[in-house]
Amino acid sequence: MSDTVDKIMERDIDPATGDTSIANYTINFGPQHPAAHGVLRLVTELDGEIIERIDPHVGLLHRGTEKLIEYKTYTQALPYFDRFDYCSPLAMEHSYVLAVEKLLDLEVPLRGQYLRVLFAELTRICNHMLNLGSHVMDVGAMTPNLWMFEIREDCLNFFERASGARMHSNYYRVGGVRQDVPVKLLNDIAEWLDTRLPQLFGDAISLVAENRIFKQRNVDIATVSREDAIKWGFSGPMIRAAGIPWDIRRSQPYDVYDRVDFEIPVGTRGDCYDRFMVRVEEVYQSARIIKQCIQDMPEGPVLTLDRKVGAPKRGEMKQSMEALIHHFKLFTEGYHVPAGEVYVATESPKGEFGVYLVSDGTNKPYRCKVRPTAFSHLQAMDFMSKGHMLADITAILGAMDIVFGECDR
Amino acid sequence: MRAPAPRYAANDGVIEAAKAALGDMLVEAKDAVGEVSLTVVRENLCDAMLALRDTPGLEYQQLSEIAGVDYPQRAERFDVVYQLLSFTRNHRIRVRVTTDEEKPVPSVTNIWPVAGWLERETYDMYGVLFEGNDDLRRILTDYGFQGHPLRKDFPMTGYVEVRYSEEAKRVVYEPVSLAQDFRNFDFMSPWEGAKYVLPGDEKAPQPEAKGAPTPATAAQVAKADATPAASQAAQGKDTKTTDSPAQTGAGQPHPGNQPGEKPKDPDVVPTKGEGQNK
Amino acid sequence: MGVELSAPPPPGTLPDVGFLNDINAEISDKGFLVTSTEELFQWARTGSLWWMTFGLACCAVEMIHVNMPRYDMERFGAAPRASPRQSDVMIVAGTLCNKMAPALRRVYDQMSEPKYVISMGSCANGGGYYHYSYSVVRGCDRVVPVDIYVPGCPPTAEALLYGVMQLQRKIRRIGSLDR
Repeated sequence: MSDTVDKIMERDIDPATGDTSIANYTINFGPQHPAAHGVLRLVTELDGEIIERIDPHVGLLHRGTEKLIEYKTYTQALPYFDRFDYCSPLAMEHSYVLAVEKLLDLEVPLRGQYLRVLFAELTRICNHMLNLGSHVMDVGAMTPNLWMFEIREDCLNFFERASGARMHSNYYRVGGVRQDVPVKLLNDIAEWLDTRLPQLFGDAISLVAENRIFKQRNVDIATVSREDAIKWGFSGPMIRAAGIPWDIRRSQPYDVYDRVDFEIPVGTRGDCYDRFMVRVEEVYQSARIIKQCIQDMPEGPVLTLDRKVGAPKRGEMKQSMEALIHHFKLFTEGYHVPAGEVYVATESPKGEFGVYLVSDGTNKPYRCKVRPTAFSHLQAMDFMSKGHMLADITAILGAMDIVFGECDR
Repeated sequence: MRAPAPRYAANDGVIEAAKAALGDMLVEAKDAVGEVSLTVVRENLCDAMLALRDTPGLEYQQLSEIAGVDYPQRAERFDVVYQLLSFTRNHRIRVRVTTDEEKPVPSVTNIWPVAGWLERETYDMYGVLFEGNDDLRRILTDYGFQGHPLRKDFPMTGYVEVRYSEEAKRVVYEPVSLAQDFRNFDFMSPWEGAKYVLPGDEKAPQPEAKGAPTPATAAQVAKADATPAASQAAQGKDTKTTDSPAQTGAGQPHPGNQPGEKPKDPDVVPTKGEGQNK
Repeated sequence: MGVELSAPPPPGTLPDVGFLNDINAEISDKGFLVTSTEELFQWARTGSLWWMTFGLACCAVEMIHVNMPRYDMERFGAAPRASPRQSDVMIVAGTLCNKMAPALRRVYDQMSEPKYVISMGSCANGGGYYHYSYSVVRGCDRVVPVDIYVPGCPPTAEALLYGVMQLQRKIRRIGSLDR
């Protein structure tokens, strides 16, 4: 019987052992898959359940943002950055406004800088909640995700109270932030950092950090050496988990990061578990930074008083003719940025998010290239997952923290 | 630098060190907006990158980014811009080569494997060829996409759009037809060289010719001479001016509003067909 | 928080007490209810709208939020399913790009009848912020028929919840098998 089957299937049989050699099996993962964190398509070549080769197909969310930005003024282009990495919108805006400010050589009021750092760190917490939650869910745990999303809801409420929008805040401006926050909001954030965040987050992490199944699914999965991490262009938690203490907030401080005190968690083995734990510790460090920001924040303006760039307040417009003219000019023509080029990279929750901005002196960017974090990480997927089991793909993807808004642009 | 952008190690001496390390390979080095840019000879890109990575005192270990830029008016229209990062020296540097649609750029995938996808993206977006990258497929655009979208001569809305066809029972591609065009405004003010004359501004004094007595300064006259297109366009046929009363619509009793076109009862707007009150 | 609760709610928001009492009386009297199968199906259909998670972009995050404890869409019987074969409604959450359009249609074709589509967010409704891009489908209704459009960029979790409730209303109102 088995001879017949073999004949039908035209299998090669090794006469010495009687083993059948079978061809590698290629499966298609995605583009619509709940564990793909979006629209990723992986063409995987399997030997049994062992991954031989992975060819990620990206671009399924390629929206042509960089082209659209070339047709919008600098102000109109800002909301596109919210939509790059939609899990951490304000961190994306941060790179962009810093790049334009660098070209303009524009000073930013101190309170504006503090507010930007505060909300960038709140965004980091928010992003890590989504990532850690979906990571543990991908490897089989449901409950922590529910708690972490409760923290995310709190964060989104804070964003809404500051900017009016839950997710795509469009809160940062070139020269500061859009508007000042109420004192009550700062009080609430401070109280939340002391009560709900450590409680919910501590509970959630206590379920998985020492969990045997979680460790079996993550420890020693997709280990990356220091040399490989550098060669493959890793950044953020991925390079820190590989053991390189590199954090742009510390090494190349922007805004008021040189005034706050925080520590940089570093992994030792460079596996998925390290990446997870680096992010867990970053959440606590972000909470520390936010507390210091709230304490040290001075009074004063939040947006630059240079009226050629920063829009005047509505109240001011009703009093002053100049303010009205400036408002009209800023919201129709926008401001002209001196010709030049800059590359500004900040530490987004996922890694180095860079903006390469070329200006030709007009009111629209000549070229705006975004350096996505996920691009280099996803490219390393092939060598990271070689030799692992099929089921490990979800753990590797989860620990990479990929969002397709910025990967595909 | 007053802006609160990321502050890394000072640029002092970087250009000298790069000049010493690169020698003939370096075309141009400049330090603008607080960032160092090097332009290198395209054929020697790999050697230059290796020198930048391995020379003590430069040590740019990581390639963070490759970007293309398109300048259609240039002979070699594309810039390919590499951003390098040094962890040990905490410094960033920019390396650029120029190329056109045909001349391939040497691939740096052997130095940094991360360049693989970045070069694929530049190829996809600009059509820049990379010699030595053995996987130069399109990466971001659609399967079977035509053209290179980030070139300046590629229209923002592209050439095709998709729709599900009930007849073919699949998603089909069709030429783009927009319900409303993209509203692109010209923000040049009429005093700064706009290419048209504003309505009512026709009698405004045109720049006077050279030699004639004029209150304008020499610079203004020179500027007016340098841009003859503006004044010529003002006298061209497709200007937004009204030359004769006929163009204003004056003299026509009902311009675009003939009595026959009006409904009999002004309160009742006629509907197509029988309407809803049949 | 900001809602005035002392005023009586507008008519139609509370369940009709008389109607419920009648049903109660009928059950306690006879022990069964009589209705048409069509109405029974409709009732069952509105109460178990299992949705296909077609998360494409930003809106997917709000779609997850509406499922999480604070909004908890499963109160309305709408549970997320990962397989199109098991789901009744597809929530197209996010920008639909040309490259993804065939996959969206394939997933829609795999769903079993009766099937509904909720288009979530400006991008899915009509391209939105990316309308003029060369790679974006200007509205997912060019690819699949859409029942409910939820506006916003992204719509808040409440807005999506309201959209699902509108779909339930629509099913009750139209309530036919063929589309």
